[in-house]
This record gives sequence, C-alpha cells and structure tokens, in this order.
Amino acid sequence: MSGRVVGRAWGRGGFAGALAPAAVARAWLAVALAMALLAAFSTGARAYTFPPLTGRVVDAANILDPVSRAELEARLVAQEEKASDQVVVATVPSLEGGAVEDYANELFRAWGIGQAGKNNGVLLLVAPNERKVRIEVGYGLEGILTDAVASTIIRNAIVPAFKAGDMPDGILKGTDAIIEILNLDPEEARARARAEAEETSLEDWLGVIVLILMIALWIYIFWRAARSGSGGRGARMAGRRKRSGEAAAPVTTWDWGSGGGSDRDSGGWSGGGGSSGGGGASGSW
Amino acid sequence: MGGSFAARLSGLRAPLFAVMVSLLLAGCGINVIPTSEEHAKAMWSEVLNQYQRRSDLIPNLVETVKGYASQERDVLTSVIEARAKATSINVDASTITDPEKFKQFQAAQSELGRALGRLIAVSEAYPDLKSSQNFLALQSQIEGTENRIAVARRDYIRAVQAYNTELKTFPGVLWAATLYRSYKPMETFTISEEQTRAPQVRFN
Repeated sequence: MSGRVVGRAWGRGGFAGALAPAAVARAWLAVALAMALLAAFSTGARAYTFPPLTGRVVDAANILDPVSRAELEARLVAQEEKASDQVVVATVPSLEGGAVEDYANELFRAWGIGQAGKNNGVLLLVAPNERKVRIEVGYGLEGILTDAVASTIIRNAIVPAFKAGDMPDGILKGTDAIIEILNLDPEEARARARAEAEETSLEDWLGVIVLILMIALWIYIFWRAARSGSGGRGARMAGRRKRSGEAAAPVTTWDWGSGGGSDRDSGGWSGGGGSSGGGGASGSW
Repeated sequence: MGGSFAARLSGLRAPLFAVMVSLLLAGCGINVIPTSEEHAKAMWSEVLNQYQRRSDLIPNLVETVKGYASQERDVLTSVIEARAKATSINVDASTITDPEKFKQFQAAQSELGRALGRLIAVSEAYPDLKSSQNFLALQSQIEGTENRIAVARRDYIRAVQAYNTELKTFPGVLWAATLYRSYKPMETFTISEEQTRAPQVRFN
C-alpha cells in the first residue's frame, strides 16, 4: 500500500522532472524563433549591396584618375570644415536593376551622409553603365539646393561633359557647382555649422547629466543594499561593476560624437548619420 | 540588529521591485506597439505632406503649359479635375485603418499621378514650352515631388509592415490581445501603384 504510494510519487516526480527541461527548451526555442523573425522583419529586406563608404569619394566604377580624385577629396574636406556639410561623390558599376532615384536614396541612408541633427548631406551618384546621374539632397539642404537647382546643375554642368566623354570633368564641374550653391550665402553657411555644433553640445551635456544622476542612483541603491547585508556581498559588488561598465559605453559615444573632427581627417571618415527624403534631381546622357 | 536589517531590506524591496518590473515589462516589448504605431503615423503624415506639395505645384504647371499649348485642353482639364477630386477626399486619422477610405485615397492620388504623367508627356511635343526656364523649373519640382512621394510611401510601407507584424507576432500579439485592443492593423499601398514611377525626363 505504502509502496504503491511511494511508487506513484516517484513516478510523478520523474514525469515532472522529465517534462520540465523539455518544456523550458521548447519555450526558449519559441522565444528564439520569435526574436529571429522580428529581427528579420525589423531590418527589412534590402535589395541592394552597396560599396563601402571608404571616403568622401567612392569610385567603385573606376572612372576617376588619381589626380581628380585627390582634387575632389580636397574640395569636399574644405566644405565640411567650413559649413559641416558632407558632400559625397560615388560612382557605381551597376544600379542592380533599380531606378537611380531609389538606389541613390537607399545609398544615402545606408551611408548616413550629413550630420545627424542637420541632415546636411549631398550625394552625387554616377552610374556610367546605365548612363544615369543623380544629385540626392539631405532634408536639411533641400531649401538651398532645391530640385530645380540640382536639375540645372545636372543639365548645364554635368551632362555636357559626360556627353563629351569626359567623366572626371563632369564630376568635378558638378561638385564645384554644388559647393558653390551651398556657399552662396556665406553667413548662412556659417550659421549652419554653428547651429549644428551648439545643438549637439547641449544634447550631450543633458545626456551626461542624466547619466551621472542614474549612476548615482544605482550606486546609492547598491550602497544601501551592501551596507544593510553582509551576505552575498560579492554578487552585489559584481552588480555595481556591471553598472559602471554599462555606463562607460554612452560616454565613449559622446566623445566620438563631439570630437569627430580630428577623426574624419585621419582617414577614418564616416557619415554623420544624416538622412534624405528623396530631394534632388536626376538625369541621363 | 537583525530587526533593523529586515526593516531596511523590506524598505529597499519596493523600489527594487518597481525597477525590476518596469525593466521586465520594457524587455517584453510593452512599448513596442505604441512606439511603432507612432512611427507609422509619422510616416503617414510625411506621405500626406508630399501629396499636398504635389497638389500645390499643379496650378502653376497648368498655367505654364496653357501659355504654350492651350490646344491640349483635354489633358489640362483631366489634370485639373483629378486634382480637384484628390483634394476633395477628406483624410483623417481613421483613413489608415479603414480599407475602404484608404482605397479611395489611393485611387484618387494615382489618377492624379497618371494625369500629370500625360501632361508631362504631351509637353514633349512643344519645343518652346520644353525650353522655357519656368517649365524646366516646374518640371524638376514635379519630378522631385514624385520622387519624394515614392520615398515617403516606401518608408510608410516599411513602418506599417513593422507595426502590423508586431500586432501579429509574439510577444506583441499578447499585448495586442490585452492592453492594446484598440490598436488596429494599418492599410498600406498596393504593389500595382508602387510601380507607377515618376515621369521620366530625357536630356538630349
């Protein structure tokens, strides 16, 4: 009688023991699958494979000679130093079947041309094999480099040289025209650079203050916890170390964000995180 | 001593619990549905913004074309009528969750797009018009706007896809069934209209 009870109890325990890990594993599998699914959807299926952003001039189609490439680069660096505008020249061997407008917009966003808060980027995209050219303008410069102006630059500066077969000349002339338009009102260009610097520094300081307050709060909480109990102290200290480790990451981002100037000049240049809503103009020859 | 330790610990327990619960809930995606809904709505207002911009450009374009090609009355009237129809459709917050209203909006806008495309196409036959600075500027603005519409629509489609997916997949589906019952899936543009691209221009 008692043996049967014990046997049943054991059986139940054994059953539960066997079930629990399997159920947990299944739950984890479901969670992992859901995560993977969500991740797949959130990144979206990007149709294009873009060349890496190696500098302000990305000549993936190989149509520029080293001299004009260096000249272009120098002008683009000067413009960014002057007005913080990021102008990027890109040539691609193929548009991968997409429209030049679509490709240019996706490329602009993938590279994040222009400063993050200002969106003051311009992309001059040339696809020599499709015979297409586009000037894609970031949100922040749409008022200065309007569609009509971009279209005029393509018609009058770029396309004539391309038709004559001189690709580097067309790109140089187009870039000069873009930079000229951006500097039409020098006071405005300076204000653009200033506004950008002030905005980020204010945001940075707010972020740092919030960060310090949060760290102080956590330290206080754990200090109280550590003071009140002697057991499990090691675990609490580990917790505190972990917090300060987490806190270090935003500070580095902040340093990178405001001190980016010297970084950009040393070749490790990257887009500032700007975006475009499809402003600009395109043409073909 | 032991009593004060217990008292301290219980005093600490409440704030720690609150922090833990809020972190846990945020980790479970309690914020994802409202956040992605707001994002999709913002993308929708950008779509409306760009359609409005196109609508604003049309009277000027029609006047310019009239000056050179007044005999193209049919095309001109069809553009004016399509614009009137598109602007007469009342768009509010419920448009994006109401399939019928959304279809109506989409049909009117694509009709306007087609009429505009025809207008640009017939303009090719008038060399004086084609070389007028005013027309060139307007044409580039129309093209730019068509392209902005395409970009805004693409962004909206992606935002809605993320939002609708969140409503239907784990763990969002749990929140949708409990806390967020009033959140409805949004309508999105169909592929057939997505293919009607900006009118192409040739420089030759």
